[in-house]
Amino acid sequence: MRMPGFIVFVCTAALAASLTACSGATRPQTGAGGGAGFDVTPTSPAAKGELDSFTWSLYAEPYTLDYALAYDYPPNTVLANVCEQLLRVTPDLRIEPGLAVKWTRPDPRTLVYTLRPGVKFHDGTTMTADDVVASLTRQTDPATGSPWGSAFKNVDSVEKTGPLEVTIRLGKADVLFHELLAASPGTVVSAASLARQGKDYGTPKGSLNCTGPFSLEKWAQGDSITLRRNPAYWDKKLVPKSASVKFTFVEDPAARSNAFLSGAADGGYMVPATSLGHLRSSGKGSLLFGPNTAAANLAVLDFHGPLGNLKVRKALSMALDRKNIVKAAAGGVGVPAKAPAARGAWALAPEKTATLFDTLPEPAYDVEGAKKLVQEAGATGRTITLATSSLAPEISVVANAVQAAGRQIGLDVRLKPVSPDAYSGIFVDPAAREGLDLVVTNGYDNTPDPLEFYQYLRTGDFGNYGKWSDAAFDVAFDRANSEPDPGKRAELTAKLQEIALRELPVIPVYEAPYSVFLGKRVTGAPTGIAQLYYPWAATIGAAQS
Amino acid sequence: MTRFLLGRLLGLAAVLFLTSIVVFGAVHLAPGDPVTFLLHGRPATPETVAALRAEHHLDDPLAVQYGKWLGGVLTGDLGRSAQYHQDVTALLGSRLPGTALLVGYAALLVAALGVGAGILAALRPGLLDRAVLIGTGVATATPSFVTAIVLVSFFSVQLGWFPGPGGGAADGLGARLHQLTLPALALALTFAGLLARVTRSAMLDELGREHVEVARARGVAARTVVRRHVLRNALGPVVTVGGTMLAGLLISTSIVETAFDVPGLGSLLVQSVTAQDFAVVQAVTLLSVAAFVLVNLAVDLLAPLIDPRLSPGEGSS
Repeated sequence: MRMPGFIVFVCTAALAASLTACSGATRPQTGAGGGAGFDVTPTSPAAKGELDSFTWSLYAEPYTLDYALAYDYPPNTVLANVCEQLLRVTPDLRIEPGLAVKWTRPDPRTLVYTLRPGVKFHDGTTMTADDVVASLTRQTDPATGSPWGSAFKNVDSVEKTGPLEVTIRLGKADVLFHELLAASPGTVVSAASLARQGKDYGTPKGSLNCTGPFSLEKWAQGDSITLRRNPAYWDKKLVPKSASVKFTFVEDPAARSNAFLSGAADGGYMVPATSLGHLRSSGKGSLLFGPNTAAANLAVLDFHGPLGNLKVRKALSMALDRKNIVKAAAGGVGVPAKAPAARGAWALAPEKTATLFDTLPEPAYDVEGAKKLVQEAGATGRTITLATSSLAPEISVVANAVQAAGRQIGLDVRLKPVSPDAYSGIFVDPAAREGLDLVVTNGYDNTPDPLEFYQYLRTGDFGNYGKWSDAAFDVAFDRANSEPDPGKRAELTAKLQEIALRELPVIPVYEAPYSVFLGKRVTGAPTGIAQLYYPWAATIGAAQS
Repeated sequence: MTRFLLGRLLGLAAVLFLTSIVVFGAVHLAPGDPVTFLLHGRPATPETVAALRAEHHLDDPLAVQYGKWLGGVLTGDLGRSAQYHQDVTALLGSRLPGTALLVGYAALLVAALGVGAGILAALRPGLLDRAVLIGTGVATATPSFVTAIVLVSFFSVQLGWFPGPGGGAADGLGARLHQLTLPALALALTFAGLLARVTRSAMLDELGREHVEVARARGVAARTVVRRHVLRNALGPVVTVGGTMLAGLLISTSIVETAFDVPGLGSLLVQSVTAQDFAVVQAVTLLSVAAFVLVNLAVDLLAPLIDPRLSPGEGSS
């Protein structure tokens, strides 16, 4: 048996992990545009005509098209055009009626949804309350393995109370749950199809039977996904301008950038930060920035180590050179973060954002002051371990910046490289956090409500990785989560923001806008993160009439 | 001959069995937990995690897990991909054509470019020979992912002659081959450079032999000399090396598939290793090993046809 002497290079594909999506975080609309050389607008110029088809590039193949398992950019980007929720997030990050025409809250623990009549699934059958009940309850079954299960933690029952009426009873008031019905948890699919397909539902073998403006025509595993216009779509405002959409998957950032430049792909969201400059100056299309709810932060994982001391957390925050981090990690498109939940996450009550967020001070950058704080805390020379990974380029950029900051103020920051998969594991498995003090996170909110972000800092929440606990915070959270009025809820959420900024369980780093590249042939796409739950492909059409 | 074949096939079975144990062990000993990948790093309730572990038999002892997998394989069931929620057989079926077409195309290019350049260099000493030597030097030294980037920026982005990555598989064989030209070139160039050098030195060896001198002195036409005396004898080492290269192509294809976004087994393997998708990693690895062994076997069987002095099993070197 002859063995050849070839050396194999193993390249790891960048997989987006949950709270550390590949590239792109965000900054929402400021009155005066975006800031340093970029503008943030919720939509691109309107389409001038119809198209037969356009090709859209995803940075990875969806691992599923089952709404109950879809919790990442690639699957939700496709599903947003095929399946719909009871509520809908609009491009400027508002919540509007979707498959539910109205809802009432007879008491804080009861939600009643009235369904839109005459809505047809792709197979021609009519949507009823039975479909809603089946779609929602499926996510609460552990056997489904849904990452959305925790969104339903306060749900006692989902019942049909009329042919077109569904009543949800809660164990305790939970406004966030209602808002999440504008995201994956509120998706409605045909109960008959679910029952018929069983395990194959949402796989390349199965089919989707939903109500959206496009239906799933073909999923050629590993190659592409094709959607076809749904002629019977109920929302006449969003009748697709293109007869079909073809999704392709390009994991390699350089190859993806070339796909845009060569015209092989007409467009794509989440443009790799490393290609921003190149694509902007290429003349092959336009690079646009939209509202985003994501932010890059440093989450403290161990409050028993040196970071258990608030002075050390403050010092680390003060020593971060955020402006340079934005340059290196986000191609200069972004701003230092003032708070752990991004400005874009405050879209629900825009009139409140100015008073509750914009008035926050810019994060301080004061190395000398930080050094003093470390000395006061008696932490000079202590070791802080930070996980780093090739999962997304910004992770190592931020990690290196933290190490440099630590060196300047007398903290010995050690980087622990882990595989992309192990990095995702940090957010799921407490055992994977052993020995780590800090982790770079880059999560997005599914709703335009900052409360969604702050829920992860409650005592005992699955997303509270460092087991931080603050009684005042928990009380304030419950109050905010039982306040249905968005304006008042924003006020209450500001309390949470205040505590988080005072105690720094999470150190804010930067926020970058959402990005989309549009080739010369197409226009009309929403530009922001709302594309995850809004039928964004319906408005894309020809750039020239 | 039959005994020889039987022995080799038994050897193949043994190699596959050992490989499956090694790969199984490697995937399971690697740090991390498949469940974290299944959840894509989303926080999940303990009940959900428990349900997922049960569904993928992650709580069984390793030996039991391996036994279950092996039992499945022997009955033709390669298991289910945890990452794609579908049968591995279906996954392989959808990816195999892409890789087969790419590797086949690249192999043809390696043979044509490598053997062609090698023969030219051997028969035309001087400037042409030197040019081939420099060209093959560059080709062998350049890693395929660099070649890929250069080819795409020049031929797809600048000139637009070939489609770039990210357009999805084209319909129809002609369009598909056109689309695979750049990836196949990127994959082939390194190997073609090596093969050209092997061909050149084998030819030069033969050209300097006594019987060639004699044939020339007798006034046999140059073309006949080259064809009957030089090429035929030089072919032995060329085929042997070419066979190992075909196996090398199968391995290098993952890099090119990733760079050009070709839906094949190579890119699937890279993704599945990252995701600890054990069933897929096993299947793709075993398939590659089997292909590798079978290609070697084919080369050994071809050797005596080219050079009757050899019996099967002793390739010329």
